[in-house]
Amino acid sequence: MGVLARRAWHLAVLLLVSLVSLPALASAQAPSAAELARGKYIFGATGGCGCHTVPKQPVNAGGRRYDGPYGTVYSSNITPDRETGIGGWTDEQIITATRLGRRPNGERLIPVHPYTVFNGMSADDLKALVAFLRSVPPVKQAKQPKKISVPMFESVFLPAWLAAFAPRESPPTSAPTSGVARGEYLVRAVAHCGECHTPRTMTMATDNTRFLAGNPKGPEESEVPNITPDKTTGLQWSEEEIADYLGSGNKPDGDVAGGLMGEVIEGTLAGYKDLTKADRLAIAQYLKTILPIKNKIGK
Amino acid sequence: MKLRTVRAAVILGSLVALAVVGCATASKSPTIGTGDPVADRQRLMKNVGANWADIQNKVKAGAQDTVAVNAEALSLHAQRIPSLFPEGSLTDKSKAKPDIWQKWPEFQAAAKNLENRAATLRDQATAKDGAAVTATVGTFGRDACGACHTPFRVPPPQQQPAQPRS
Repeated sequence: MGVLARRAWHLAVLLLVSLVSLPALASAQAPSAAELARGKYIFGATGGCGCHTVPKQPVNAGGRRYDGPYGTVYSSNITPDRETGIGGWTDEQIITATRLGRRPNGERLIPVHPYTVFNGMSADDLKALVAFLRSVPPVKQAKQPKKISVPMFESVFLPAWLAAFAPRESPPTSAPTSGVARGEYLVRAVAHCGECHTPRTMTMATDNTRFLAGNPKGPEESEVPNITPDKTTGLQWSEEEIADYLGSGNKPDGDVAGGLMGEVIEGTLAGYKDLTKADRLAIAQYLKTILPIKNKIGK
Repeated sequence: MKLRTVRAAVILGSLVALAVVGCATASKSPTIGTGDPVADRQRLMKNVGANWADIQNKVKAGAQDTVAVNAEALSLHAQRIPSLFPEGSLTDKSKAKPDIWQKWPEFQAAAKNLENRAATLRDQATAKDGAAVTATVGTFGRDACGACHTPFRVPPPQQQPAQPRS
């Protein structure tokens, strides 16, 4: 083949490839308004992915510090910045990181990002969430490197822990739309209530035999309340009161939400407060159906 | 000199003296409360909570116009909040975060925000603007109370059921 013929061949291939991929790219880059709204709603239902925002700093730009027994990590920049955020990742790569805790290069995320829980989200909800994340202004902010103090933590301990101890939610074929099933889906997979409200075992895995029974040593040194329906040590509010609290932050006794609960209710671009009344009631209904566990938190 | 003038001068003089003494005494003991800032602010906040619960109940009952007195109480209480947080006033009973003193201007602004929001609510209730009262109350827990409780307080471990207020 002559040089000219080869060039023409290359050009033809290039043209063909671009013709095939253009519509795909276009559709990936222009999600419908409904898709974005759904994504924002899910974003709010997670508490605004608040771990990825330092309060009063640019939304989703990461950098929030988390100390664990293994060392210190900082949350990732999940804005669509191509260099320092997730702008260069495909939808599938973002979903894999959210669900399975793997970066595009195969590296495992430290499970401060609760992928074992988010694995319970439906495919459609995750897709919409990703579309919404891409619509937030990009912020150039490089991630601070983690400081892992336990030798072989990521190569040996983490995979073993994930396989042996970490309870993993499984994804539904589609997200339940109403009733207790909807409440269960939101509580377990999306709002990830258990990450703070469920006590942890010796290995730091959530102890789901005592699901939502409170954690005396929760994040940021807070004592996290028991929200099982136990008569003496659990949550005794009515369904209406629980739903109202998630929307307004108001407790029945005139107190208000504060700390991390205040943060997730308020959210960033959206939070629990933006859940519909029906969804807040579904959460309340579900909380009334879980196993009551006697576990007194605090004095 | 006439007796009347003398009497008037004496009365006026004593009044002035009394006022001077009064002011001096008052400026020596301006504090109200026990002097223990943690106990005092928790007492204040209990009353803030009671007023806030009252406001919500009144709005639920459709009595928007009657919340002015509670809103006024909140606004006045808010003015006292910064003075009840002298630097480092932390005990194991306190749920205050040390961040308060690291971000003092932010903390002061949050108290001022409560004062202003409560004053707005009071004015709306006084003007009998029921719709405005309902709208303000709808977000007040988050944007007036929560704006300070979220960054500056460790949440209490037990969720109390609603209690009858004294």
